[in-house]
Amino acid sequence: MRVLTFGWEFPPEKNGGLGVACYGLTRELLQKGVEVIFVLPKTQETRGDARFLFADQERLVKIRHTDISLRPYQQADSTISVIVGYDKQGKPIIRSRTIIEEVHRFAHQAAVIAREEEFDVIHAHDWTSYLAGVAAKIASGKPLILHVHATSFDQAGGDNVDPAIYKIERECFAMADKVVTVSGYTKNIIVKKHGVPPGKVEVVYNGCDTSEPPRLPQTLVELKQQGKKIVLYHGRISIQKGVDNFIKAARRVIDANPNVIFVISGSGDMTNQIIEQVGALRLSEYVRFAGPLWEEDRDRMYQSADLVVMPSVSEPFGLVPLEALQHGTPSIISKQSGVAEVLTHVLKVDFWDTDEMANQILSSLRYPVIRQQMVKEGKCQLQTLSWRQAADKILGIYKSLLQYVTP
Amino acid sequence: MLTVCPYFHVHQPYRVKKYRVFDIGNDTEYFNDDGESDLNNRKIVQKVADKSYRPTNKILKELLDNHPEFHFNLSFSGTVLDQFEAYAPDVLESFQELVASGRVEILADTYHHSLAFFYSVPEFERQVKQHEKRIKQLFGVKPRVFRNTELSYRNDLAKWCEDNGYLGIMAEGWDKYLGWRSPNYLYRPAGCSKIKVLLKNYKLSDDIAFRFGNKAWSSWPLQADTYAKWIHAHHGDGQTINLFMDYESFGEHQWEDTGIFNFLRAFPEMVMRHPDTSFKTATQTVQAYDAAGEYDVPDVLTWADTDRDLTAWTGNDIQRDAIATTYRLEEDVMKTKKKDLIETWRKLQTSDHFYYMCTKWSNDGDVHAYFSPYQSPYDAYIAFMNALSDLQLRVKLALTAQEEKEATKSVATTVVCEDCAQKNKKEATIDTTLKVKPEPAVKMTSKTVEKPVALLKPWWQKITESVRSLLGLTMRR
Repeated sequence: MRVLTFGWEFPPEKNGGLGVACYGLTRELLQKGVEVIFVLPKTQETRGDARFLFADQERLVKIRHTDISLRPYQQADSTISVIVGYDKQGKPIIRSRTIIEEVHRFAHQAAVIAREEEFDVIHAHDWTSYLAGVAAKIASGKPLILHVHATSFDQAGGDNVDPAIYKIERECFAMADKVVTVSGYTKNIIVKKHGVPPGKVEVVYNGCDTSEPPRLPQTLVELKQQGKKIVLYHGRISIQKGVDNFIKAARRVIDANPNVIFVISGSGDMTNQIIEQVGALRLSEYVRFAGPLWEEDRDRMYQSADLVVMPSVSEPFGLVPLEALQHGTPSIISKQSGVAEVLTHVLKVDFWDTDEMANQILSSLRYPVIRQQMVKEGKCQLQTLSWRQAADKILGIYKSLLQYVTP
Repeated sequence: MLTVCPYFHVHQPYRVKKYRVFDIGNDTEYFNDDGESDLNNRKIVQKVADKSYRPTNKILKELLDNHPEFHFNLSFSGTVLDQFEAYAPDVLESFQELVASGRVEILADTYHHSLAFFYSVPEFERQVKQHEKRIKQLFGVKPRVFRNTELSYRNDLAKWCEDNGYLGIMAEGWDKYLGWRSPNYLYRPAGCSKIKVLLKNYKLSDDIAFRFGNKAWSSWPLQADTYAKWIHAHHGDGQTINLFMDYESFGEHQWEDTGIFNFLRAFPEMVMRHPDTSFKTATQTVQAYDAAGEYDVPDVLTWADTDRDLTAWTGNDIQRDAIATTYRLEEDVMKTKKKDLIETWRKLQTSDHFYYMCTKWSNDGDVHAYFSPYQSPYDAYIAFMNALSDLQLRVKLALTAQEEKEATKSVATTVVCEDCAQKNKKEATIDTTLKVKPEPAVKMTSKTVEKPVALLKPWWQKITESVRSLLGLTMRR
């Protein structure tokens, strides 16, 4: 079986959950004997054994190469706010149409590639590839799977969605043969908000690496020596991620226990607002901004923290608590997240309930046994959340789409 | 001759409300949730009364009236009796009516449905005594057969029961200890010479308690005559069929729409249709038959899960932490001699609290999820530990106050003695007494400073509290 896959990002490029998911799934599908042709919009380094095609390379149609950074919204500070140049005063010119243009360009290329290549199924990851997937379907007549890693509603943290993205989502879902979501939470959104019939949607939970990471030297050693407890937020600082509620909870926590330090690792369009909020709540002494942390720095922070909080307003899946667990740190996670459906050994809270969030933070710092147990049992549960299982399910969906096709 | 010995266990715990860290030192009511959640004890008792206690007692009354041969046993936790009294007095009355028939035996138990025997025998003994007193007061009877929380059992518990004059004790009839032998006989607990153990026939008991409404079960839907046939099949290879289950199996665990009430209504008649088959209470059973052999249980045996041990209550770290912290408080809380503190501490010993913290996510785990009013075992642990922390503070405060009082008392006696001495010498002067008196006052203030900071309530709260207590407006039930 050969699959034409469209994606927007792929390791080793530094990026968020989307690239990690595409890599994990592709690796396991290849293991199962599926041939994967992976199409990316821009030439880049890649990892793994899939055959990679890059849409910006010269093909039948001449394509103008652009320098605009192609970052999907999981990673970009703002969904589609891309700097396209600078005005006379040196202020950046931000355009929201630009990424949409790129998406359309990607789709044109996809149609060309679909005519050149031979394959059985089309699988497109994330909204930035949906049009490419649809174009490939029209060009080839092969069945199309759209894989929803996030929706415009998660990005907006509410109903105030970007109409252009919503339009693409809605129209492409209608064209797809199957829609895969990373959680029941996300399935519910696209059924309710995009009018997709529930029977057309399959939930395939993301997996995680189940190997035991190496122990690294601790960070924030001085604070820990003073007996401070470290509570970590790791992720983008944007409205979707609910960092403002995390800060509100921090105030409640500090009122009861001033021996806690809150670390914020990440950056985003709300960074300034959060810094101001920290000042206004007189928390400067208790909050540290670590900037975006990657690879070893991130892992060291996970290992040094006593507790990780994922306060997202709307999180389609949420890899942070899984990564934290791997590094031996327990989590408090928002109930408005997909990962809450599969993780048992975490504390769960409504993102808006900052009182309860503070209660959970204080209680788990107060009774160390609860943290020990959440890690011990959570690690066992991690073993059941592998990419292999996710790939099994995806393969099942490929087969179900091909059962009536005669070669 | 084959007799059936049914025993229904009636119990409701005092569930701890969502008690937060911020409540520690500010709120002494741990069990008074009044919202819509399943932590609202009043609401739960009234709901289960409607679904189970009222309709089931009505049927049991009819059965007793219609079948003079029908006998059975009940066991109550003290916590359920207290809640009936407060929230559903008519249910308590209907139970009293059943017992008044003389054909319903009440079993001995711990008052607080606790696992105290395995953590503190003196505390266990106090709870058993408290239970016995309550049963006497409400039903006018003295229990003679013992059953322990969750049917937990061990050789030394049987020995304790024998030493304390009980005729029998109940336990799970578990293959591991029975081997090839049948649970349908009485046995002699290892290390005992008089007492007999009644073993639960788990297959026939669980057919009603767990499997009755399960449509995937091959015997669904189970009719009373079929079930009676299963019992009759034991003629010749047993003397007593012991059917032990939660009372709430009728109407609460198995809903009315499963047909459980019709089953119960038809059950005694179907059983007695076969000649030489009837019902006995636990005491009658123990008096009717001899022990067929020895039952040797060196490790704790319960009626729970597929493991039949205590792992549903003490299987993980948070459970062990919570229960150990609870019993560590024993010495201090008893020292306070304060009824309300001791009673609150006992309410926290109820095994259900630890059950809610269970994280066995096998088939058994589903059962736990069903019975837990908390969103997760961790939420249960947090609420419990926070409430326990508050109790620890109150105990500490009470002990500090006690010490102060004693300190003042001893100083006061010294003062009096000195006075006497001075009087005897006829040298009493106001000056000397004045010199002596200020000292204890100084001591007292230095003691007050030692109080934990969290206990220092704002002045307005202290005033409202004292006004409240003056007016008799305590928040306790």
